[in-house]
Amino acid sequence: MAQKNRYGFVIDVARCIDCRACLVACRVENEVSLPHTRIWVKDQGLRGTFPDLAREFVPYNCMHCEHPPCIEVCTSGATFKDPDNGLVLVDQEACIGCGLCVEACPYDARYLDPTRGVVDKCTGCVHRVERGEEPACVATCLGGARMFGDFNDPTSEVSQALARATQVRQLVTDEVDPDPNIYYLNGDVMQTGLLPRLPRYTTAETLWRGVAIPAVIAGITLSFLGQAVAFTKQLIEGEQEFEE
Amino acid sequence: MTRIGPHVSRRDFLKLGGASVGALAAGAILAPPAAAAARKAGFIDVAGDGTIPTMCEMCVWRCGVLARVRDGRVVKLDGNPAHPHSRGMLCARGQAGLMSTYDPDRVLHPLIRVGPRGGGQFRQATWEEALDLTAQKMAEIRDNYGPEAMIFSSTHNLSQVQFENLLSAYGSPNYGTQRSLCFNAMVTAFLLTYGVEEPARNYDRVKFVLLTGRNLLEAISTSETAELMEAVARGAKLVVLDPRFTKTASKATEWIPIRPGTDAAFLLSMIHVIVTEGLADCEFVKKYVTGCEDIPAAMAEYTPEWGEAKTGVPAATIDRLAREYAAAGKDAMAHPGWRTSNFINSFQAERAIATLNALSGNVLTPGGCLVAESPEAAGIPLGKPPQPAYPRVTSMRLDGVPWKYPLVPLKLGIFQNIREAILSGQPYQAHGWFVSRQNPVLSIPDRARTVEAMGKLDFIAVVDVILNDTAWYADVVLPEASYLERYDPLNIVDHKLFLRQPVIEAQGEARSALWIYKQLGERLGLGEFFQYEDEEDYLRQQLAPLGAELQDVKYKGYLEVPVEEGDGEIVFGTPSGKIEVYSETLAGAGFSPWPTWEEPPAPAPDEFYLLTGKVGQHTQTATQNNAFLHQVEDEPKLWIHPAAASARGIEDGASVRVTSPIGSVVVTSLVTEGIRQDCLFLAPGYGHASKGLRVAYGVGVSDSDLHVTYTDPISGGQALSQTFVTVERA
Repeated sequence: MAQKNRYGFVIDVARCIDCRACLVACRVENEVSLPHTRIWVKDQGLRGTFPDLAREFVPYNCMHCEHPPCIEVCTSGATFKDPDNGLVLVDQEACIGCGLCVEACPYDARYLDPTRGVVDKCTGCVHRVERGEEPACVATCLGGARMFGDFNDPTSEVSQALARATQVRQLVTDEVDPDPNIYYLNGDVMQTGLLPRLPRYTTAETLWRGVAIPAVIAGITLSFLGQAVAFTKQLIEGEQEFEE
Repeated sequence: MTRIGPHVSRRDFLKLGGASVGALAAGAILAPPAAAAARKAGFIDVAGDGTIPTMCEMCVWRCGVLARVRDGRVVKLDGNPAHPHSRGMLCARGQAGLMSTYDPDRVLHPLIRVGPRGGGQFRQATWEEALDLTAQKMAEIRDNYGPEAMIFSSTHNLSQVQFENLLSAYGSPNYGTQRSLCFNAMVTAFLLTYGVEEPARNYDRVKFVLLTGRNLLEAISTSETAELMEAVARGAKLVVLDPRFTKTASKATEWIPIRPGTDAAFLLSMIHVIVTEGLADCEFVKKYVTGCEDIPAAMAEYTPEWGEAKTGVPAATIDRLAREYAAAGKDAMAHPGWRTSNFINSFQAERAIATLNALSGNVLTPGGCLVAESPEAAGIPLGKPPQPAYPRVTSMRLDGVPWKYPLVPLKLGIFQNIREAILSGQPYQAHGWFVSRQNPVLSIPDRARTVEAMGKLDFIAVVDVILNDTAWYADVVLPEASYLERYDPLNIVDHKLFLRQPVIEAQGEARSALWIYKQLGERLGLGEFFQYEDEEDYLRQQLAPLGAELQDVKYKGYLEVPVEEGDGEIVFGTPSGKIEVYSETLAGAGFSPWPTWEEPPAPAPDEFYLLTGKVGQHTQTATQNNAFLHQVEDEPKLWIHPAAASARGIEDGASVRVTSPIGSVVVTSLVTEGIRQDCLFLAPGYGHASKGLRVAYGVGVSDSDLHVTYTDPISGGQALSQTFVTVERA
């Protein structure tokens, strides 16, 4: 394990009642502006026919993956995996709002906030976690579906829940497996609509990665060199001037 | 001895029991601004940041809240772990509570109507002017027609005790609560059977939970919803009777999509099996239940086969569930339900539920239903301001209680009958209506008739935080401070006194109900009934007999009151002191003394039952304008089974017209397997007509445009599911 702690969620699907307290708690706690959201509850709809019916609700948000595709594509270095806790975070001061990570996330767990020009997503309520509190969505979960903690600590609630569980699933496929840190218990989550999609490396991004970034780097380098030359020249000339 | 009821219920009916204080508490001071008080109490620092304990008001469960405040604004609400109703959690509504306080549509200044009534034209007025006008009109009505010509209505607010004080001091018998639209059947049945209004539930050891229409995962009571989920996760059996596949049904061990109106038949058949097979807790029943020996004979006809014919549930299923219920012994619970205003016979279903609990002997057990609060807790000697005796009221009540409905408790009443009495002018003509934090225009069946009734009144005043549909028709609107901006009287929960206190300054000119009622009382010459200087003085007088300081209660948010343990003897608050499965009181009033079957009306072949219910993101008609809740709600639709839909050419998402004997609405369809073919379900709480609600206006439709007014003669409950409708493509 690279980092000291590996924080993540365990979600007991059988206990989610779709009350949506987590959705509102997240919005208020993190001042997420309408109509955006950082977390979702996927209603899989009714299965079966009357009266033999089943219905499950699957909460999800950023999976704080071990191998996050969003980090790979980040051009500004704003998206990073916190070395202390493993949470995938966005430094919104550094984010340039290019949106490539939004396309790269196989779970569509990020959004671009056009008013602030930055990407936003679940932070695992890292500010609460650092105070020793649970994330807002976990603290208020009425059904007891959401758990949060350190998978590296065998005594944590999430580790204990995994140890006890008879059925554990990560939302991964053969094609897409970023090793997400949300583990699902007791529910049929391997359904279309929830499974990860292939990261979208768009034309824009390909162009960006293949042409624009090298071009920008080259441009910056050239301009820096030019400036340096000019500056040095000016410095020398200036000195000469001064001497004159 | 443990006496079961009448006592202070967990949920409401805050009664100020015990000794009254002889004089005004000394040192009464003017209410300091919230921030100053919070700073003094040590909640917030100089910058105005901190956490303040208070109580939620997004529904009536009243969870404890820890309000986080920054720069004088509340920025987050968390459940208070110290409060047994929240246990550290808040539901979606509780989490969204600050948006109700900061709703851009809040009414923040007194308003006086300028255009025609219902036209929505108001002008801003001063408190002085609005209060003077309200008091002047109320005094005129009292002088010209007698105090009974003024109707007072309010529901479930913590300041209800002072609302009742105002109406009693004024001298009107006409008290409109919302209760007959909600839980009259449950409360009346349990009062008659156990002498308790609402039995508490305990899920600690429960192994079998029977929910009769109680949609606990969508009609959320935070702690109880959580306790049920814990019990289910532990392996308790959950059986849900509901014509609709609710979210609660989705978590059930067995969902029984019972024919509407036949819950009582199902339950009576269960009782039949239990008593004829000798499966009841005999020791308990013999000791505590009236008519014990005669129960088998009284239930003889309700065989499972009879039950199948009524309910559509196979006899074998009823028989099996009865045996499983009995096998769980004291760890079986037949949940009493809450909104039980479904059919005229809902009272009998509640009596059967009360009986099932008695047969399992689960009273006062940690897996059971009737966990009574001890009398010591009920009798916490709270103080109250001194006041003279109320004037004697001799006039009849407009709602027919008790002169036409002898068994309906006075404090429940029959709300829908008040509207009818305004229209008929019988037994006398009402002239004014003072409404506080209530929305009869949307809640009483047949909205058009309610609006028509309002048109017959000389004066309507409304106290509220937003311009709801009833305020829209008011002559004067008095803006109440939101629950995060005001004090209310203390609330008792599990031997603790909880405090609602302001966490921010009241916005605009909004004021507390305690202040508003006192101001009106003084202007009506009733000042001696309101002997408190301000809200804090009122609370100090409440706390005086306990020797507690308000400052300490403010700091913790509650006060723990030591309680003596009972000695295990149980006496029920009924005439016999026993559980009255056989009720002389009912017999004396001309009704069946036993829980019994009353055949409900059924829809014609082309008609449907129109079901109502709850969604987990809203409370009644009060929260639809909250933008945070609006964002997480489902679009309100009409549920219809695919077979019923295709027979009418209705596709999912189609616009459909629903027509009842009193009106019709056009709404979007939701074609779903999750409902019986003979039922429709209309998402509740929508269809606001007030343009003062910019989020809620124009969203969905109201079932008050469809519901026919039917009243149960025993409990006074409105039968909301007894309206039959047709549906077609719009």
